[in-house]
Amino acid sequence: MSIEIQTRTQSVFDELAARQTWKVRHIVTITLAMAFLVWCADGVNLRPREITRAIPVIADYFARMMPPKWGFVEAIWKPAVETLYVALWGNVLATIVGLPLGLLAAGTVTRSRLLRGGAMGILNVLRSISELIWAILFVAAVGLGPFPGALALGMNYGGILGRLYAEAIENVDKGPIEAMEATGASRMQVILFAIFPQALPQFVTYNLYWFEVGVRSATVLGMVGAGGIGFELITSIRLFEWREVGLILLFILGMVTIIDFASTYIRGRIYRQ
Amino acid sequence: MLIRNPSYTAAAMLSVRGLSKSYDKDIHALRGIDIDVKEGEFLVILGPSGAGKSTLMRCLNRLVEPTEGQIFYNDQEITGRRRNLRALRRQFGMVFQQFNLVKRLSVLTNVLTGRLAYRSTWRSLFYNFSKEDKRIAIECLARVNMDHKAFQRADTLSGGEQQRVAIARALAQQPSIILADEPVASLDPKIARQVLTYLKQVSRELGITVLCNLHQVEYTREFAERIIGMSRGKVVFEGTVAELNDEVLHRIYYRDPDEQDEQNA
Amino acid sequence: MSALTFERAVESALQREAQVRWRRHLKLAACGAIATAALWYSAVQIKLSPAALVGGIPFMWDFITRLFPPDLAYLTLLGGATVETIQIAIWGTLLAIILSIPLSFLGARNTTPHVIVFHLTRLLLNALRAINELVFALIFVSAVGLGPFAGVLAVALHATGMLAKFCAEEIEGIDTGQVEAQMATGASRMQVILFGVVPQIIPQFIGYSIYRLDVSIRSATVLGLVGAGGLGFSLIQTMKLFKYHQTATCILLIFLLVLVSDWICAKLRRKVI
Repeated sequence: MSIEIQTRTQSVFDELAARQTWKVRHIVTITLAMAFLVWCADGVNLRPREITRAIPVIADYFARMMPPKWGFVEAIWKPAVETLYVALWGNVLATIVGLPLGLLAAGTVTRSRLLRGGAMGILNVLRSISELIWAILFVAAVGLGPFPGALALGMNYGGILGRLYAEAIENVDKGPIEAMEATGASRMQVILFAIFPQALPQFVTYNLYWFEVGVRSATVLGMVGAGGIGFELITSIRLFEWREVGLILLFILGMVTIIDFASTYIRGRIYRQ
Repeated sequence: MLIRNPSYTAAAMLSVRGLSKSYDKDIHALRGIDIDVKEGEFLVILGPSGAGKSTLMRCLNRLVEPTEGQIFYNDQEITGRRRNLRALRRQFGMVFQQFNLVKRLSVLTNVLTGRLAYRSTWRSLFYNFSKEDKRIAIECLARVNMDHKAFQRADTLSGGEQQRVAIARALAQQPSIILADEPVASLDPKIARQVLTYLKQVSRELGITVLCNLHQVEYTREFAERIIGMSRGKVVFEGTVAELNDEVLHRIYYRDPDEQDEQNA
Repeated sequence: MSALTFERAVESALQREAQVRWRRHLKLAACGAIATAALWYSAVQIKLSPAALVGGIPFMWDFITRLFPPDLAYLTLLGGATVETIQIAIWGTLLAIILSIPLSFLGARNTTPHVIVFHLTRLLLNALRAINELVFALIFVSAVGLGPFAGVLAVALHATGMLAKFCAEEIEGIDTGQVEAQMATGASRMQVILFGVVPQIIPQFIGYSIYRLDVSIRSATVLGLVGAGGLGFSLIQTMKLFKYHQTATCILLIFLLVLVSDWICAKLRRKVI
């Protein structure tokens, strides 16, 4: 081995050693992080002993759900389907709310900073308030039932979708936009023909995804009286009817799985076109 | 029909007899390959794409299992044995056409992965390597003149630089053979020659045998000590650079070796 | 080709194009009809009624006026609950990360030890994803009692499902060349995973974990509705005591908390990816 290679090897080796020593600030950061986590754990009563004691108890509860009470299907299939309707209309309303706001909030569509900021602000308020809280509000307004549930999802997911739509619009390929503007098209025409067609597949993907999430959310809206299977669920739990709970959970799992498959299929078809 | 030079039957470090590989009964990637590799030589396997060069190499280090035939390494048959695969594979250092460096890791860590076969799994759990490993890795980097970039992320390097790091990784295994599978196919000529020069020079210095798959005739002429020509899964030529004439090239690139055999029979 | 045959060729091409177009329009119309029918039917089922909504506005207004103005003095009492919410989210996400590491490898086709293990893991993950945190929280409150501990477990289980499924899909999408190179050096299976697989997915893993933390904070705020600790608990308590001004404070605080956590998480994610 030549001298030159030896010296170069040694110098890199030394540099490596220097890089890998534990610096004081690393140790301090790690210690602080550990201490923080321990403090958090204490705040939520999370102790290893608690967990080890909890696991068999929880396992026991899940065991009590088996076998599911199949006869209960008659009582719950209607609310279960209602959950789907709530999710469906929640999605539609969310699109109705989110689309105009999203367009307004997109930099490439709206020139006015004020309008954009305002639209973004509204979207942020909509999405930061949990759908359950919206549901409570709407139940107070229009009474119990699935309608307030759909409205609640519409509000919350409208905010979420609106933000996503705005992002998608802003991330569209600028090339076709420039081309259209060069032909002398009006602002509205540019939006319709250059921006919209590109952003549309992305919109559909978002809608499909949030529809799925919406179904899962809709399962619990019933707990505050906003329709769907949530009411039966909370009732069965409060009555300690675990086998009924097991059936409901199985139902929910089945619904979500089917929708998962369906949306993957639809997504595949759309992208092929 | 294979033209065999009688002097090459002596002292082969790696031998392959009747090696065949088929996929799904229809696709025959290798059909009865016989090859001897002498210790310390720079052997080029020349042939068009689809000739089976990659498959042959992957059968040697068992990334692919041959369907028939035998492989002898240092006079021991190694076909069929899946035990002690780690010890076997670390004898074969492999260099890929796509470099296959771990993009997010540093150059040095990439070379260190060549030492993994020597370290227990538990030690590696913390991405830890011994001092000796680190020295070996850095030295290999220095030998290909990439030590100045040791701490950079692998994907910040150019193609030629990445392949040199890949060579260093193979060297770090302290192998007896380096298998280079089309190492320069995605590099432009000046860089390609640079990489092949490093490969030949370093293996010369360390006494490592090199088996190199190439489809470019010019590089073969410049770097090979001995050449094996392959076409459609069969060996159609074996000899020196001087013997690589137009007729041989025609046989490798244009003729169907099955027709050949029928004619000669 | 004579002029006549050329004309004929063009004509037949136009005819075919018209047929294809007609078929496409027919398909679109059929989809549209089905979609409209589904929407109409479900609208009826959930008693969707713009009239009811408009009619309910006075009730909503009444409700909202009862909330305003928010009792700002109450903010000082909510410190503990806010901290508890954050702690629930942190440990829920942390437990999810710990559990996801093995589960994502088991749930990826290319790293799972056996096909059966793969399918069982995917089934488990789907179950964890399908069931809302609130439902888990309800069950756990029955099992381990009221308080944030139940909340942590609920958040953890649901987040595990989401995180592990995401990572499993990332693992399935890695560059196999890098893995092959590691195998060729003679590395053991675990070493190949550590050096060939893990470095490829770490940024996405961290990014998605931060996203899950954000979502968990949002969920943790409502877990209190069923007694699992955090701000939601204060919210429901104040509602039961008809102290609506304090309820408004809770809602405001939740809104601010979610906004801040969104902002922080977005910044962190940009640093990672």
